[in-house]
Amino acid sequence: MEKTTDGNPEHRTTDHAEPIIEVRNLSKRFGRKLVLDNISLSVEKGKTTVIIGPSGCGKTVLIKHFIVLQRPTEGEVYFKGRRVDNLSERNLNEIRTQFGYLFQEGALFDSMTVAENIMFPIRQHVKIRNWREVDEVVKMKLAMVGLDGFQNYFPARLSGGQRKRAALARAIALNPEVLLYDEPTTGLDPIRSDIINELILKLKRELGVTTVVVTHDMKSAYKVANRIIMLHNGKIVADGNADHIRNHPHPVVQQFINGQVGEDDLAVLRMSGAVGSSQFLPRDFQ
Amino acid sequence: MIAALGAKAIEDLINAGRFGRFAWRSAVTSLRGCARRSTFPLIWTQMFIIGVHSVPVIMITGAFVGMTLAVQAYDQLAGMGLEEHLGVLINISVVKELGPVLAAVMLAGRIGGALTAELGTMNVTEQIDAVRSMGTDPVRYLVAPRLLACLLLTPVLTIFADMMGVVGGALVSFLQFGINSRAYWTFSASAVALWDVSIGVVKAFFFGGAIAVISCYKGFNCREGAHGVGQACTEAFVASFISILALDFALAVIFKSIYMIFWPVKSIVT
Ligand SMILES: Nc1ncnc2c1ncn2[C@@H]1O[C@H](COP(=O)(O)OP(=O)(O)OP(=O)(O)O)[C@@H](O)[C@H]1O
Ligand SMILES: [Mg+2]
Repeated sequence: MEKTTDGNPEHRTTDHAEPIIEVRNLSKRFGRKLVLDNISLSVEKGKTTVIIGPSGCGKTVLIKHFIVLQRPTEGEVYFKGRRVDNLSERNLNEIRTQFGYLFQEGALFDSMTVAENIMFPIRQHVKIRNWREVDEVVKMKLAMVGLDGFQNYFPARLSGGQRKRAALARAIALNPEVLLYDEPTTGLDPIRSDIINELILKLKRELGVTTVVVTHDMKSAYKVANRIIMLHNGKIVADGNADHIRNHPHPVVQQFINGQVGEDDLAVLRMSGAVGSSQFLPRDFQ
Repeated sequence: MIAALGAKAIEDLINAGRFGRFAWRSAVTSLRGCARRSTFPLIWTQMFIIGVHSVPVIMITGAFVGMTLAVQAYDQLAGMGLEEHLGVLINISVVKELGPVLAAVMLAGRIGGALTAELGTMNVTEQIDAVRSMGTDPVRYLVAPRLLACLLLTPVLTIFADMMGVVGGALVSFLQFGINSRAYWTFSASAVALWDVSIGVVKAFFFGGAIAVISCYKGFNCREGAHGVGQACTEAFVASFISILALDFALAVIFKSIYMIFWPVKSIVT
């Protein structure tokens, strides 16, 4: 791993690094449910920020706010110093072309082939003069995620992991400045996961893209992160480089990164009683 | 209790406002889309999907309407010795009223259902968000081509239904009731004016717009899961059906007043 010195916990809001995305006092409610609770953070340009946290803690909701797919209930979102959360959809379109967003479920267009999916952003925003060139781009992007040759497949005929990778190829089609990955390695085999990690590092190194990765995969987090943020119950509980997180004193953080069950979860399991007491077993079925 | 009623009323009002905004945005975006070359292939695709498979059902609908009218009306007219005027009654009803309305109801089921299901599925699988995330306006990319295709196609399909209604009515009149075909056509031609046909076609234009906007709106706002999509389809059909009938009434009133204004003028000119 290359230099991660600037992620030092004591000065994590280093003022020499330029923030490209900033959220201030962000809260998000769905009905009565408070999902994000007064979050402030900034993502530094050219760095890789990894967001970890238990399932359902609001990671996806948070990064959707970065490109204003969700609007905050309270608080503000800034991109390159400009407030964006109150812009109209029309004005946002121009800003969104500078982002690549990998959806957790891929969100490929199922009425289009893989190649057409990847061409979609290109067709929308680039005046195409030479279709051969576009085919070349599609081929290259697919090769990057190990899917060259699948151009004419429909998403329904791909496996879960292949779909994810095709979606990743679509997200990087326009060479965006900022890439937001929602769980890029979930559902992939270990080798393929590591290839995606390498791809994330490569894009950052060669194109200088700013990267935000949401993940549960701690191996991947340690490998790609300049900075790791842990979210819990809608709040940031830890923020710093990989070593800072590894040695974090907070028990919630330690449990999460080591994959340990908490005492209260264990208690629930014990409470549920001996097998057979309140459950259906095969012998009960007629 | 009262609070709950009030909350429901407020929610309905908010939804109505939301629908109004959606309809307005779709209309404006579609108008702009007409001027943009890149929308044409999208419209073309939609017209193909919507149009081709609708033709047979629309024609069957029209034919049965005409045939049924002939059977129903014959006895009454024959009782008065007016059976040769049967064509007038059938053709006016088909062209002005039943053709457009029944064709639109058929299309609300066929096209509206498909539109809502497609867009609803895209919504719950985040494909609409994906369009947004890539900096494209989903209303421009998804709604405008569908709305324009419906606006262009519903009148055409209605003319098909009208034609089949006229043919069906005539066949039953000639073959079953043995009415003199020359008298039948002469009376029909003198009674059914271009004005009547135009009313039907203009109505169809509005019906097509209503079906497309309602179905797209329901798809865009559908709830998660297979159940959500199914419910959205049902709601879209019911809403389309009611709006077709309401629009039909409103347009009938409007056309009648227009006719009253211009009829004296016309009689002076000719
Ligand atoms: N559109 C929505 N409407 C209502 N509630 C929502 C909506 N989107 C998310 N939530 C709620 O917000 C919470 C956080 O969801 P989110 O998808 O951000 O979790 P996550 O951290 O990404 O979890 P995972 O790791 O499982 O993907 C969840 O409890 C969810 O129920
Ligand atoms: Mg998530």
